[in-house]
Amino acid sequence: MPSYKHLIFGALILGAISVSYPAAAPCAPVPDSVTLNQSGKQFKPFSFNHAKHIQLIRECSDCHHHTTGTLVLDPNCARCHQNSSATAVVSCKGCHSATPFSPETIAAKAAQKQSYHLDMMGLKGAMHHNCIGCHSKRGAGPVGCQDCHPRSKQGDAFYSAARKGAKPAHAKEH
Amino acid sequence: MKRRNFLKACLIGGATITLGKTNKGWASGSFEGYPDAMGVLVDTTRCIGCRSCEAACNKEQGLPEPDTSFDDKSVFEEPRRPTAKAYTVVNEYEKKAPGGPVYRKMQCNHCNEPACLTSCFVNAYTKTKEGAVIYNSKVCVGCRNCMIACPFNVPGYDYESVTNPIVKKCILCYDTRLKVGRPPACVDICPQEALTFGHRADLIKMAHERIRATPDRYYDHVYGEKEVGGTSWLYLARTDFEKVGFDTTLNNEPIISNVKEFLGMVPMVLSIWPALFSGIHLLSKKEQHDEEGHDTESTQEDR
Amino acid sequence: MKKMIQHGLAIVDSPYLESGKKRSIMDKLLLGLTPSQYLLQAFRNPFNWILAVIFAIGIPILIGRFFFGLAWATSGSNDYPWGLFLGFGLFAMVPLSSSGFQLGTACEIFGRHDLEPIERLALLNGLLGYFFAVIYLLADLGQPWRLPYPMVVSFGPAAVLFLVAWHVSTYLSVQILEVSTAFFEWIGFPAGKRGVRRITLGLTVSGIILSTLHQGALGALFTYAPGKVHPLWYSSSFQWLHFFVSSLPGGLCMVIAVSTIAAKTMTWRGDRRFHENLDRITVSLAKGACMGLATYITIKLIAIAHDNKWSYIDSGWGQWFMLEIILGFMLPLALMTYGVHTRKMTVVRLGAFMTVFGVVLNRVNTAIITFNWKLPHREIPPWREVLISITIFAIYIVVYRFILYRLPILYKWRMQEEAVTVPAAVRAPAAARRESSQVPVASYSKMTDIE
Repeated sequence: MPSYKHLIFGALILGAISVSYPAAAPCAPVPDSVTLNQSGKQFKPFSFNHAKHIQLIRECSDCHHHTTGTLVLDPNCARCHQNSSATAVVSCKGCHSATPFSPETIAAKAAQKQSYHLDMMGLKGAMHHNCIGCHSKRGAGPVGCQDCHPRSKQGDAFYSAARKGAKPAHAKEH
Repeated sequence: MKRRNFLKACLIGGATITLGKTNKGWASGSFEGYPDAMGVLVDTTRCIGCRSCEAACNKEQGLPEPDTSFDDKSVFEEPRRPTAKAYTVVNEYEKKAPGGPVYRKMQCNHCNEPACLTSCFVNAYTKTKEGAVIYNSKVCVGCRNCMIACPFNVPGYDYESVTNPIVKKCILCYDTRLKVGRPPACVDICPQEALTFGHRADLIKMAHERIRATPDRYYDHVYGEKEVGGTSWLYLARTDFEKVGFDTTLNNEPIISNVKEFLGMVPMVLSIWPALFSGIHLLSKKEQHDEEGHDTESTQEDR
Repeated sequence: MKKMIQHGLAIVDSPYLESGKKRSIMDKLLLGLTPSQYLLQAFRNPFNWILAVIFAIGIPILIGRFFFGLAWATSGSNDYPWGLFLGFGLFAMVPLSSSGFQLGTACEIFGRHDLEPIERLALLNGLLGYFFAVIYLLADLGQPWRLPYPMVVSFGPAAVLFLVAWHVSTYLSVQILEVSTAFFEWIGFPAGKRGVRRITLGLTVSGIILSTLHQGALGALFTYAPGKVHPLWYSSSFQWLHFFVSSLPGGLCMVIAVSTIAAKTMTWRGDRRFHENLDRITVSLAKGACMGLATYITIKLIAIAHDNKWSYIDSGWGQWFMLEIILGFMLPLALMTYGVHTRKMTVVRLGAFMTVFGVVLNRVNTAIITFNWKLPHREIPPWREVLISITIFAIYIVVYRFILYRLPILYKWRMQEEAVTVPAAVRAPAAARRESSQVPVASYSKMTDIE
């Protein structure tokens, strides 16, 4: 029995397999826009122009720190994450909890006291810091509350917006 | 006076004094807080002065409509304090500093050994095991001693009300949230997550870790860790706390320590005075007195 | 009243009329006058005109405080929760009312029965002072109808105010009982008087205990706010002692002051025993007050040294402090010592009045003026608050006068037909009525010449 035939056949099959299951191709397509603040009550949900930001910034890790792009630029992080690889989930909510102070989250944190990044911001705080932080530094991009997400009617009532222009609250409180 | 009558008098006198005299000296030693007590860490380096926390508190606690909108930044012109209508306020400091102004949220600090609690003679305040200092308005007489005692000038009084004026202050949203483990409304709403909610013990560690990790960002002190016996609201700032409106002259002893000395005197006086003065009376009795001891020709003449 | 006595009125000083019949309650209440005579003497009294003005303006505002709330009547300040009602009404009137336990102790415990002519006045002074301090408190409390709460509803025994509440209420009862002997005499209920006399010693001892503690406790209230009272008025270790010790000369001098005013404005009411002994007693009281003042000044200076606060004297507050301690304590001490030594009664009495002023100033300073000294603004009480305070004080004076006019405080109640204690000059009117001659009434100014 010529073993060469088996060898070539096996190699062909292996080649076919390797072509059909690519090792390092992206799982999901990069979205052009993302709807943020979907469950917002005081402020309306809004559409975030992802494509524009990719065009402007290029470097993914500028926003998606630790998860994709050129990883670990910060020397403080490099101490541990020098050789880390990209993560499966790249979006913010993959690491930053939407309910950072719920009893469940707090209990979960208490259960893993050894974890290093216990002091991790929740989703709302992380997004505000990340987005507004960059916009302030670059001097371009929205920084005001309503510049990104306009307020809903409920929000106007929440902030007592109708009272704006009335006498300032600092008058005569001792 | 006959001996029998005298002793009877002493007994009546003694009974009168001991009527409900249950003053006891406070136990010494320090109280670090209940083990599972929650707290809030306020990172003033994150606060942008948006006043969403004030709005959230106003809605959560059903407070009246404010004098001006929560968007109004003109309120920062003068520092404010918590009142009966506003349990929390944000003030602006360091207005002209190169790094920009510093905003600081002010509310009841939920001390471990609260001065308000120790000064209340109807026991209206309770330090719950969740860490909140709550208040029972049903027994409040309105003496306002708690307002005198609070070193942070927090409790506000409802002077406007005629029929039911009571003390009003932040209760860490105990009734609506803390009891079921949820964070107070102000923490939930803060867009910058300047407020971090968690177990007090963990928050202290977290605060020190933040200082350690980014020392240029923070002044090396966690306000509230030790002040007046420790508070549940802890603060971080980028500069010396006095510049941000905090009272840095408070020492680490809880307010009750100042009062303990006097409270300890009380049982001493109650025990010593009767014997002391009865004894003096017995010593000074003279023979010339009649049965009642009065108004005979007294020989005690003044010079 | 003076004029009426000159025209032959017999003063009420016994349960019997001149005819020997028993006096009725109405007669005792109206000072032996007919209703129209009584109103006449009331209208003629210029002091009553001032009172009328005060009440006309003040009573509606006082009532208004309960209908419109504290925000209407007071400054309603969160930073300055305690205003005039407490700062003056409670904190100042209570030390001035310490005379009750002091004279009670002196007479009953130390056996100084020579002070008896003034004992009842001192007891009454104490009772009325505390009673009106409670009135001021009711005006100040947010929910005054809840005043009994710390007694019966909810206890906070670690609070100093709890001690104050219990003590003041107990002590008021003690004082009411002590003054009740005079009342029972007047009313004609000797069994009541006998009952109280039996427990007088116990009452007196309770009085000393309660007074020591609550006079001190009022001071200890400020230890709840150590940073808020200016360091020169605050002592972390000795605050309660300062308040207790300064209450002693305060009470004694208040008695001197009140007896001076009474002897001058109601000369007819004091009997011979009162007027003849007044100067001697005043000297005794002044001596006691001097000791109290000297002690207070000493412990005040010790306290400043103890916390090393001397540097605070070199400031605006320091100058105010020096003013208080010199005008209110050191100068009266010097005056009273000199007056006692040289038997110059006017000087002694001046010193006494200044001491009363000094004690009041000290309390108002601690509670209001130097309170929150670190805050930039001072709280000035609004006019309604001032008016209500004045009105309540006027009511206090009226009640004081009412009782002094009637009860055997300044005079001895003559039980049988003894004529001993009534000055001959005053007894004469019954005879003078027949002869219609001018009768000199015993006057205070003549009494000051000591042989």
